[in-house]
Amino acid sequence: MTVVMRLKDITLEYPVPRQYRKEDILPSGVRDISLEVKQGEVLGIIGRNGSGKSTLLKMMAGVFPPDSGTISTRGSVSLLAGVGVGFHKELTGRENAYLYGALMGRTTEQIDELIEEIQSFAELNHHFDRPIRTYSSGMKSRLGISVATAFKPDLLLIDEVLGVGDVSFRKKSENRVKDLIAESGSVVIVSHSMGLLKSICTRMLLIENGRVVDIGIPTDVMKTYSQQMRIDE
Amino acid sequence: MVLWGKRSLHRLPLIVLTDLFRSRHLLRLLVKRDLNARYRRAYLGYAWAILEPLLLAVVYTFIFTILVGSSDPLYPVKIILGIIGWSMFARSLTTSTKSLSSSINLFQFARVPKTVFATSGTLTNAVLALISLTCLIPFYFIHDLPITVNLLMLPVWLMVLSFTGWAIGLLLAPIACKIPDILNLINFLVRAGFFLSPVMWTYDMFNSRFGSGWHAIVAHMNPTVVPITGMRDAVIGESSAIPGYGYAMCFCIGLLAYIFGAMVFERKAHRAVVNV
Repeated sequence: MTVVMRLKDITLEYPVPRQYRKEDILPSGVRDISLEVKQGEVLGIIGRNGSGKSTLLKMMAGVFPPDSGTISTRGSVSLLAGVGVGFHKELTGRENAYLYGALMGRTTEQIDELIEEIQSFAELNHHFDRPIRTYSSGMKSRLGISVATAFKPDLLLIDEVLGVGDVSFRKKSENRVKDLIAESGSVVIVSHSMGLLKSICTRMLLIENGRVVDIGIPTDVMKTYSQQMRIDE
Repeated sequence: MVLWGKRSLHRLPLIVLTDLFRSRHLLRLLVKRDLNARYRRAYLGYAWAILEPLLLAVVYTFIFTILVGSSDPLYPVKIILGIIGWSMFARSLTTSTKSLSSSINLFQFARVPKTVFATSGTLTNAVLALISLTCLIPFYFIHDLPITVNLLMLPVWLMVLSFTGWAIGLLLAPIACKIPDILNLINFLVRAGFFLSPVMWTYDMFNSRFGSGWHAIVAHMNPTVVPITGMRDAVIGESSAIPGYGYAMCFCIGLLAYIFGAMVFERKAHRAVVNV
């Protein structure tokens, strides 16, 4: 199977704030991670808060540079992170969709072709031409998911945003991700929603203190994770 | 494709320009976004771009006429050009210095050249400065100002101011991420620079008071002195006696700021964003 992304011994450490430097605190980040994402797979990343999941995703998106190690990609990569991240509150949903598309490296003509689909998937109706500041957080998320998945990247990275909106929209988002996979796209998803991950992931990775603890079949990795949580309790 | 591959230092100034050219579509959308967002909720909209320098000119002319007793009928025109020129430089400097910390939400999900955000703010200010220049039209009728080929130098000098401010901002932006005090320092320098630059005073006023000694050399280290004077000469049709070394210093400061700014920005900005 074709490899769409390869990480080799990547490390990134956040600087420890000045006031904590005298204390014995390890810098957070990710350490010595090697990983391959294959075409058509859905890789779920789980771990506690602050374990390095989002940092790893940002490095995969090429947003954060590693201190050491190499990241190589094949094809386009798109990161969907947070509710309404990157949206400008004074611009309308339509204007933000064009801006988002441009940030993803798409031309106006390419976005023109997809704009109707983005509008109908997001179910925003007339709100699509109103400023984002008038949107609820659910509406912003729907627009975000609709825009990010519309451009069909070779590798889609999702950080904690798939479980938003009402039940029907959640189902719709899951189906969209499944469609992406069917079209040979690959997905890496970070979430705390075990039910969601179990239903869509083909492989799972457990991360702790910036290091990979376990990687493999979802049920096995989830078992390791729940055992770990029980030990801590 | 390997992300974050090594790029040689001496090629970075050229790489910055290439990246900007490749991202011109995004750049255009970001400028449009900034322009739309800035005045969307104001009743007077873009008219504020014209009203702001005009109202400031009224205030400064009033104060200066009372305090100094200036009888120059073209003084309001000179003040307006000083304000537009200085604002262009100061805003380019401030927006590009703040670009890494203020656009952090956009860096967090997309891999785009970070210079795009420093440049889009500068281009937005350039568009607003060009709109502001229309407030000079009534003065052409009132004072019968000459319309000559020299007028073509007006946008050129504005570009020089904008470029120099942007380039110094590129140099400072990664440092400002690590040391936020830089932003406070810039705010102070912008306020102090308003008085140290030829906004309320003119090149001739400076010359008649201090002559052409070491004071003049120090004054020309301010990268706004020559361009603002050039803007006034282009509009009023005069020729200020700017020495050759004055022009040379102005262009060298801009060019050196760009070369070092591009190198520092390209090498340090990516890591600086992680710190933010």
